[in-house]
Amino acid sequence: MSKPDKTMATPLLDIRKLSLRYNNQKHLAVDRVSLTIKRGSSLGLVGASGAGKSSIARAIVRLIEPDSGEVRFNGRNIGTMDSQQLAEVRQRIQLVFQDPVVSLSPKRTVEQTLLEPLQHFSIGDTNDRKNRIREILATVGLQDNALGRFPHQFSSGQQQRIAIARALVTNPDLLIADEAVSSLDVSIQAQILRLLQELQSKFGISILFISHDLAVIRQIADNVAVMYQGQLLEQSPADQFFSQPAHPYSKTLLAIAKGTPPASWPGKQWQLERGHEMDDTSSSCVFAGFCPDKMDVCTQKEPALRDIQYNKQHTLDQHCVKCHLYEEVKTNDH
Amino acid sequence: MKVPALKVDDLSVWFDTGSGRIPIVDGISFSINPGDATGLVGESGSGKTMTANAILGLLPGAGMAASANAIEINGKDISGLSATAMRAVLGRDIAMVFQQPATALDPVFTIGQQIDAVYRRHLGGSKSEVRQATLDALDSVGFSQAEDIASAYPHQLSGGMRQLSMIAMAMVCKPAVVIADEPTTALDNSTRTLILQQLKNLQSRHQTAILFISHDLSVVSQICRDVMVMYCGRLVETTDCESLFSHARHPYSAGLLSCIPQISDKRPAPISSIPGQIPNATALPPGCHFAARCNRCEPHCLESVPKLDFENGRGAACFRPL
Repeated sequence: MSKPDKTMATPLLDIRKLSLRYNNQKHLAVDRVSLTIKRGSSLGLVGASGAGKSSIARAIVRLIEPDSGEVRFNGRNIGTMDSQQLAEVRQRIQLVFQDPVVSLSPKRTVEQTLLEPLQHFSIGDTNDRKNRIREILATVGLQDNALGRFPHQFSSGQQQRIAIARALVTNPDLLIADEAVSSLDVSIQAQILRLLQELQSKFGISILFISHDLAVIRQIADNVAVMYQGQLLEQSPADQFFSQPAHPYSKTLLAIAKGTPPASWPGKQWQLERGHEMDDTSSSCVFAGFCPDKMDVCTQKEPALRDIQYNKQHTLDQHCVKCHLYEEVKTNDH
Repeated sequence: MKVPALKVDDLSVWFDTGSGRIPIVDGISFSINPGDATGLVGESGSGKTMTANAILGLLPGAGMAASANAIEINGKDISGLSATAMRAVLGRDIAMVFQQPATALDPVFTIGQQIDAVYRRHLGGSKSEVRQATLDALDSVGFSQAEDIASAYPHQLSGGMRQLSMIAMAMVCKPAVVIADEPTTALDNSTRTLILQQLKNLQSRHQTAILFISHDLSVVSQICRDVMVMYCGRLVETTDCESLFSHARHPYSAGLLSCIPQISDKRPAPISSIPGQIPNATALPPGCHFAARCNRCEPHCLESVPKLDFENGRGAACFRPL
């Protein structure tokens, strides 16, 4: 079905208009989000708590079934796969979570933890597996004597290394790191970031790096995507994002991260339980309530996600923004 | 001479085990003047929280002991007080804001009831006076609808709102000293900035002395004038934030600073990290605790313990400071 010369152009991960709703909640946790990750590149996904970042991570490997939209991995639709195909894909996509204490089993030694994915996916024979485990342990900077020990015998940084080793042991193409360094001390965080940087340059692994911390994203990401209340507001190459963010929300995030929050922020005072009594934003921009650049049109019409880069040759590196400021035809033109 | 709001003199905390003492906090001394904020920075396990617990008299716990020459609040020594006498001090003269407001708040009482209880116990008054104080406190941390917040249960609030409520509770009796233990660590960047702003406002309005505990130097620099860097239970550098960021004297402080990811227009070079890891508390080296990870280490460093050496009011516990 795919021509050989197209394999380079096919993105490793292609998410198209993914929507997802929990239980019977009125609002979508993920609202028509499209994202692409090229082979060997990394995407930083940023947004406040509750923006839908983790929901996307889970939907990619079908830990949650999306309501609509597609997730394509290497050009193949994950949503229509049978269980055997899905198992293959899950071997190629691995996750690392925020808290290693919770994500590692306290009853298993490091060796058992690392062996499990290999057994689950029937990779190699006993000897191959042993070698693979030693190799991966060295990759994450741990010594062989770690194998017989239990998670509680390690520091939090070492535990996160074990979690990363467990993710890497099946040799995945895509690593999803969901706030993987957020609970660590800065010094340990720096060690893990270095490790991820090395994995990128040595093995060319693609990373979906989810974080609320822009400074950390800057270290890892080739591209940056910004989410707010389930919607994608901006996706852009990292260099462009950090020098010239386009969306007012991105600008606000960046200003806060640099320690210079805009005087107008936050526009509204704290409110009770926003999640349950959010304004109906179906016919407006989701960020309109807090936006310093709000115009009349922002509360009347939902902006479209559009490419603001004139050079459209590199479609995967496009700079997309969902904001009325960048509409080509202003609605108030008379 | 000004009486410091909080003065800690030679505070130690240790575990007693069958095979001897394991030091957790190793003879630290410092003071904070009214209206000043001082940061206490270090990695997990360096003894920051134990320092706070010891000051508040929450130790000893199981197998754990603490001693100090003096712990003074506005010149009054609280180190030898009984548990009963301490209850009159906690919340009144010194208050604490914890890292996890979700576990620090009681889920079965409204925010208002919980703040009322603190005020009633220490300052008393009629029902309406107490509630008014609670509403004022909630108002002062930036809630526009203080009454709604007062009648809400903790689960109805977001993480940031819970932490603001905790700060309101800590401030309701206008204590001389507030200890904030990683108050913003569990929050995202935008919420963190708001909380820090509110803390700063309250501090200047009430001349509160704040001991701000965090592992994150960049957060500390946003709120504190002075900073103390802790490593394995010892203070290795005490200085003002500005000097620390421009010229850290202790190699450990310099290492910590280089670990902070920076936002730059161009893609940054790979981040540097401190090699090795914190030594095990049960097997601390005899000399400088940082020696094994230090690139300026000399044979001398492995044998003797460097004392905090002051130069223009800036202290560094290092034989070869930068």
